[in-house]
Amino acid sequence: MKRSHCFFWGILPAAVLIALFFITPAIWGVYTSLTNMALVGKAAKHLQFIGFQNYVRLFRDSAFFTSIINSMWYVVGGAIIGQFLLGLGLALFLEYTESNKIKGGNIVYGFVMLAWITPALVSGFEWGAMYDFYYGTLNNILKLFSLSKINWLGEVPMLSVIIANIWQGTAFTMLVLNSALKTIPFELYESAKIDGSSRWQSIRYITLPLIKNIAIVDLISITIATFGAFLMIMAITSGGPGMKTTTLSLYAYRSAFENYRIGYGCSISMILMIINLVFGLTYLKFLKKLS
Amino acid sequence: MLVKSKYIGICLIVTLMILGIVILISASEKVTIKVWYPDEFGVKPKYVDQAAEAFRKDFPNVNLEIARFKLPPGDFKTKLLLALASGEGPDVIHYSGESNIAEFADAGYIVPLDEYVNAWPDYTQYPNAVKDGVTYDGHVYAIPYGLDMRWLYYNKNIFKAVGLPVPWQPKSWNDIINAAIVIKERAPDKIPYILYAGVAGSGGTLSHGFLPLFYGAGGQLYNYNTGKWIVNSSAYRKTLEHYRQAYLDYKLVPQEVMTLPKPWTTMRQKMFTGELGILCEGGWVYGGAIYTLGLEETEKMAGYTIMPSEDGKFFFTIGGSGTVWYVCSQSKHPELAWEYIKRFNSKEIVAKICLETPHPVARIDSANLPEYKAQKYLVDCTKALEYAKFLPLQSELNQVAYRIQLLTSRVASGETSIEEAMGKYVNEMKLDLGEDKVEITE
Repeated sequence: MKRSHCFFWGILPAAVLIALFFITPAIWGVYTSLTNMALVGKAAKHLQFIGFQNYVRLFRDSAFFTSIINSMWYVVGGAIIGQFLLGLGLALFLEYTESNKIKGGNIVYGFVMLAWITPALVSGFEWGAMYDFYYGTLNNILKLFSLSKINWLGEVPMLSVIIANIWQGTAFTMLVLNSALKTIPFELYESAKIDGSSRWQSIRYITLPLIKNIAIVDLISITIATFGAFLMIMAITSGGPGMKTTTLSLYAYRSAFENYRIGYGCSISMILMIINLVFGLTYLKFLKKLS
Repeated sequence: MLVKSKYIGICLIVTLMILGIVILISASEKVTIKVWYPDEFGVKPKYVDQAAEAFRKDFPNVNLEIARFKLPPGDFKTKLLLALASGEGPDVIHYSGESNIAEFADAGYIVPLDEYVNAWPDYTQYPNAVKDGVTYDGHVYAIPYGLDMRWLYYNKNIFKAVGLPVPWQPKSWNDIINAAIVIKERAPDKIPYILYAGVAGSGGTLSHGFLPLFYGAGGQLYNYNTGKWIVNSSAYRKTLEHYRQAYLDYKLVPQEVMTLPKPWTTMRQKMFTGELGILCEGGWVYGGAIYTLGLEETEKMAGYTIMPSEDGKFFFTIGGSGTVWYVCSQSKHPELAWEYIKRFNSKEIVAKICLETPHPVARIDSANLPEYKAQKYLVDCTKALEYAKFLPLQSELNQVAYRIQLLTSRVASGETSIEEAMGKYVNEMKLDLGEDKVEITE
């Protein structure tokens, strides 16, 4: 068998699965976003191709813009600042404890991993119980110190869901960057040390440049995942109070499966896809520039 | 050549035999009628089964398949709609009436029942107001059995403890706010008042929160003369003013109402565990408490009253058709689907189910049964329905409800001022329904 034939048969199953479960729904999504498809009312009976009407409507819908701004806060606070920086810090900490044979690293690793393997919906309910004003764990802790209760979900709803998101998602970055750190030859640090480099200088001039490619891939992954995530917010705040924690993905879900306007929901999803694409391309461009 | 044609002949005979067997099997197959209903708590199965037993006795050759879904109503609706959209719907649907009747009818999911009800002598037992509640576009689309209405509940123990009168009948909105302020001051560990707002409140935000105020301020959501939705009026502002007072000015309603995933579950529980003072909720909440706590305990703890208008000039409740029965348009045997519905909605079953889960009955003859008349709560419900105002039975109601959820939460959370929230609401309604379907009255 020719090498090219092997290649073809090798990728065929994966290509068929991707076409079936990713490309086909995406094409269906594009088509649906150009229709008035709905599950109730007259539109459910008379499916019509309406061109870009859903998109025109989107740009006149103030709730849509609010959800974009909320999504940006959620991604920047939860993924880029929270998950990434904390994950990087934890990865460096684990590497440090391992190379210096300090005990305790595995315990931290175990705790962070526990958060990651908990399903998002379960985590959401757990955090909901933590934040509960009347019976919540956090307010009970405050009570122990004779401090007054905080209305977490009423006063700082976005911060509350961002913290929950960081708690759950940090393990992924920690794992990826920890693996990246292990690929750096130890000799590089030793030579730097002999040359009189401080620990910070080693991180700045050896560690970070050598893990930057993997860090960018990690950033792309967590950005896309956080942008599309809605289970956690759904379980903690349902997007409220008001529209304060309604992200783009939650708004798309609401439009499609609570208001039963599938076409409109799909048009929101398309915008979500485009924003994710822009994020991905920006990161890649940034990576190219760094290289 | 001869061998080849012999083989072809044998193949043909075998194929024909297989086809014949398939046709015979399908011809002898029983007609199947599928009934779908949601029930999280297991109250309805015995009544559904009782009707099924009567049906099977009369139609022994029909295969009746009953499917109970242990899902909240919203989740059941999504499941049902996806099944209907893919042509896999059941023959009989049991689901909430009100706005769904118009939505389902416009989508072509349900069939008009005019010809069936005209031939059904029992239909004369339904009062005209009940019939109107299931009539859309001049056609009867559903059969109700237990009606809905809303009460302003209050916890008698809390009221007595803080020195408020029991029984209590607020004469105006100010009376409600003042009572809640007293609870807040004298029983700071209790929640004074719950008024649903936001998306988390789901349908309750409109029917238990917004409308009892809006109608009390003389508001009208839909103009039947022009066929347009009224999206801006002084009643909107008065209602939102009450929201602002309750949530922000006096902080009587906790913001958690807008963030709890199912606020009604938590708040109903708090009402009956003595942690909540005042709550506007469905009549079924009291019924549910009787079911779990018993009549005596419930009567001791919970008081109920109808809603006052803003200035106390009139009193009313929000009525509704409750959960109803539909015949699905995808049914191949709608006449058999109707036969099942008829058997469920018999005088006896309607009376029994409405006694067990206290609801005002839809049939007059069921209400005349002595055991029904002996229950004070049911008599009060039936009486309150005389003052009922109803939701507009229009296909767009659920979209309007969603925008009202956003409107109330924007004000209640302090996200925007009343004027700004109204501006956004008017724009969103124009976008959702079309400029020609909305009007502004001042």
